[in-house]
Amino acid sequence: MYESDRALVARMGAGEQRAFEEFFQASAPRLVAYASRRSGLDVASVEDIVQNTLIKAVRNLAGYRGEASLLTWLTQICRHELADFSRKAARRPGHDSLDEPDVVLRLSQQLLAPTQFEPAAAADAESYRGAVIRALNSLPERYALALEAKYGDGLSVDEIAHLLGLTSIAAQSLLARAREAFRERWLEDSDDRLNGIAQYD
Amino acid sequence: MTERHSGDGEERSDAEVDSALTDALRTRPMDPRALARMREAVAHEWRASVATEHRPLRSRRWLWTSLAAAVAISTLTLGWFAWPVTAPVSFGSIARSETGDVEVRSALVLHHALHAGDVLRTGDKFTAQGPTLVALSSGGTLRIAGNSVVEITSATEIRLERGMIYVDKPPALGGSGRLRVLTQAGLLEHLGTAFEVLSEGQKVRVRVREGRIRMHTGSSDVVADAGTELLATPDREVSQHPIPTYGGDWLWVAALTPDYDIEGQALLGYLQWVTRELGQRLEFADAHAREVAERTILHGTVRGRAPLDSLANVLATTTLAYELRGDTIWIQSPP
Repeated sequence: MYESDRALVARMGAGEQRAFEEFFQASAPRLVAYASRRSGLDVASVEDIVQNTLIKAVRNLAGYRGEASLLTWLTQICRHELADFSRKAARRPGHDSLDEPDVVLRLSQQLLAPTQFEPAAAADAESYRGAVIRALNSLPERYALALEAKYGDGLSVDEIAHLLGLTSIAAQSLLARAREAFRERWLEDSDDRLNGIAQYD
Repeated sequence: MTERHSGDGEERSDAEVDSALTDALRTRPMDPRALARMREAVAHEWRASVATEHRPLRSRRWLWTSLAAAVAISTLTLGWFAWPVTAPVSFGSIARSETGDVEVRSALVLHHALHAGDVLRTGDKFTAQGPTLVALSSGGTLRIAGNSVVEITSATEIRLERGMIYVDKPPALGGSGRLRVLTQAGLLEHLGTAFEVLSEGQKVRVRVREGRIRMHTGSSDVVADAGTELLATPDREVSQHPIPTYGGDWLWVAALTPDYDIEGQALLGYLQWVTRELGQRLEFADAHAREVAERTILHGTVRGRAPLDSLANVLATTTLAYELRGDTIWIQSPP
């Protein structure tokens, strides 16, 4: 079903530079977007995770058998990387060492205040976005991928169909179900938060 | 009590859902410089991973010639391995293993995994799961591409069963630092050199980067100088082609560069190390630039950095700048 993806992987396995460029250009930006949306991590961490994902993928190209799209295969590896990152982060001490130059650089960048920063508006926006992401993460993976492809990556129905190995009609139907499921989860999330607030009123 | 806003609850329209998803899922494009760095790292890994499958070599008489070559190799192997086996001696240690383990099978223990710092001994036959750097006891390094199988037949000889290796024996080591490489196509001897060997089935490719190589095929001897590629096919024909000693085909080697300790070292020595690692030449724009390189003493560390990567960082701390001009690294003082 994913003949073009399998062919691309085969060309990479044969050492074709152009195939690698196609693979990287098609995968890296979308994996960065995927990891960023799913985790809410800072840019540097997301880049590390995606780089690890791609390195693991190119080391194990033989593991791709064309049973899903190449991007789906990569997102599975990326999910493992995200989970691994979370586990390691949980074990890490709760402070940064200023002896590490990278930490100093990162912290100094975080200290730069954005221009026209409005704390209240930013908190609202973050809370709103957080609710959407929570709702998305609670959906079945296939639904979430379809919604991300449509709303995040701006893919057409035909492109989403190819990505998920569906016909265009099936992709359209999947999108409709995904959006409905999202709406319900989003609503539940809002209700939960409102109920949580009400307890203290 | 809490009042429900109009945007909450059942009132959410399709337009609201679309807007929420679009707003929340929109991400900023990645910084092009970060993307380029990531691309470089992944490309290095990809090249190292597929190195053994690069440039498939074709032969029409595969079956017959492989049989003939196998007989010839057996004869050569018997001849070269005729001396009695002695107690294992240290051949080198694993300085770095980029991915996975080095699985080794020795006379004493079957199939155990080695890691950075572990010693390889004569008699060991090992499979490098990922790119691996070995510091040789006799000096120099052995760099091994992933999925390669190497047997250490003596303290001065290895057999490349499958995959790709890069031998770096700096000329300063002299004759005591010689390492012979037995391949399906014959025995390789070098005269203070750096060279790469790819073994794929019965076919062997040797690319000489520095110094000179002699290949004994059983029926003839072939000598190749730096900048030459030898291609040995199963019918024992050996062809020669000129090749560049720098560039993309050697990146997997640069990715396995041993660490260079710059602390207290002159900049000139570091520059010579970088250019050698990259297979390039070092040139100075003028006498002043060279003098600065000679008298500048470096401090700090470049551990874990690829040569070109570290070069940019090191020169940033000096008054010199560099430029890549084909096979040359050009060092100059800024105007």
